[in-house]
Amino acid sequence: MKTFLITIIIVFSGSLLLWESTDGGEAFTAETARRLDVQRNPRIIPDWRLEDQNAEVFSLDAWRGHFIVVDFIYTSCPGVCLILSSGMKTLQDEFAMAGNDNDLRLLSISFDPQTDTPDRLREHLVEHFSADPDYWIAARPTSNEQLKSLLDFFKVVVIPDEYDGYTHSAGYHVIDPTGRLVAIFGFEQLPELRAYLAQALQTEEHHGNNQ
Amino acid sequence: MEIISKFKREWMLLVVFIILALAPVRHFLEQSMVTHMLIQLPALVIIGWLATNFFPASWKERIKEWNRWGISGMAFAIVIMLYWMLPRTLDAALSEWPIELVKFTTVPLMGMALGLSWPLLNSIAQGVLKLEFWATFMRMGWLYLDLPDRLCSNYLLGDQRILGQLLLVAGTIWAFTWMLRIVFGVNLIKT
Repeated sequence: MKTFLITIIIVFSGSLLLWESTDGGEAFTAETARRLDVQRNPRIIPDWRLEDQNAEVFSLDAWRGHFIVVDFIYTSCPGVCLILSSGMKTLQDEFAMAGNDNDLRLLSISFDPQTDTPDRLREHLVEHFSADPDYWIAARPTSNEQLKSLLDFFKVVVIPDEYDGYTHSAGYHVIDPTGRLVAIFGFEQLPELRAYLAQALQTEEHHGNNQ
Repeated sequence: MEIISKFKREWMLLVVFIILALAPVRHFLEQSMVTHMLIQLPALVIIGWLATNFFPASWKERIKEWNRWGISGMAFAIVIMLYWMLPRTLDAALSEWPIELVKFTTVPLMGMALGLSWPLLNSIAQGVLKLEFWATFMRMGWLYLDLPDRLCSNYLLGDQRILGQLLLVAGTIWAFTWMLRIVFGVNLIKT
């Protein structure tokens, strides 16, 4: 009887523990967990002052009132950053240059500020991806503390790989016009992101017209 | 004399545990998914299991009242095992120290539960569980080898693949020793 009782308790609380620690059976990996968390609890982004491709101070607050898509890159990246960046290019052509007042803004943040000088960022942005710097900015953090706080806030994990590069969480981070991080899409989810933005921007425009 | 040597062995176990918990050793073993999952975690389980040898008989009797046929102990062990099989808990153990602390307590506790319960299980239950553990090894090995994406944000895809291969190799050796035992009566591993 004692064994029966304690087994029931263990199985019950064990199931509860597993349920809780997977967000109700939805998130088994840290990557899905961070996406789900942002969706459920949007977070206000701090006002970081970064250094952009013209070596000028860039603050995200300057883009308040716009939807912003942020990705994390390093310019010597041979793989996934290129996919991300060409995704950003698609977004620029489709949403940023549409000519609306509340069109989309794009920000690529480098997590390798030692290598990625403003010159390299500009080369990456303008020469490789023909970015229009009015809509798409590349920037680097100005200190290691700032880099850490950026990565912590977005829960982006960067680890050195076996080819002297980095393996990192790759995604599109969506910030809404009020400055909250509201959604994260994986690099493979570009179609979903485009559908999301199409709708979000349209709703936003509606609001704008009514005001 | 006997008491002294038993005492010493107990201390040995504690010393090994403390060494594993030291920051440099921890970081070294947690650098790669392979050593994290195939050395650190099993070592913590084994430490817990061996520690049950030094429990006084009176403790074991009291626990046995609540653990007839080893059922509740196995249930506990399985819950803890499932918990640490979640990729995100492994990631969390690296980035959040309270989760690391939870790992260093629950995994040895799981070993203790196994040590106390395994001998009490009837032989059919032992057989079923052994087969299920073995199948889990093979399933995870196959999964890690086959997945195109990383499960843990803190580990490389290459690491995950190597771990998959090692799990399959270990599972195969395990199955082979069983076969020797069942078919030819050769006993390589005592379980």
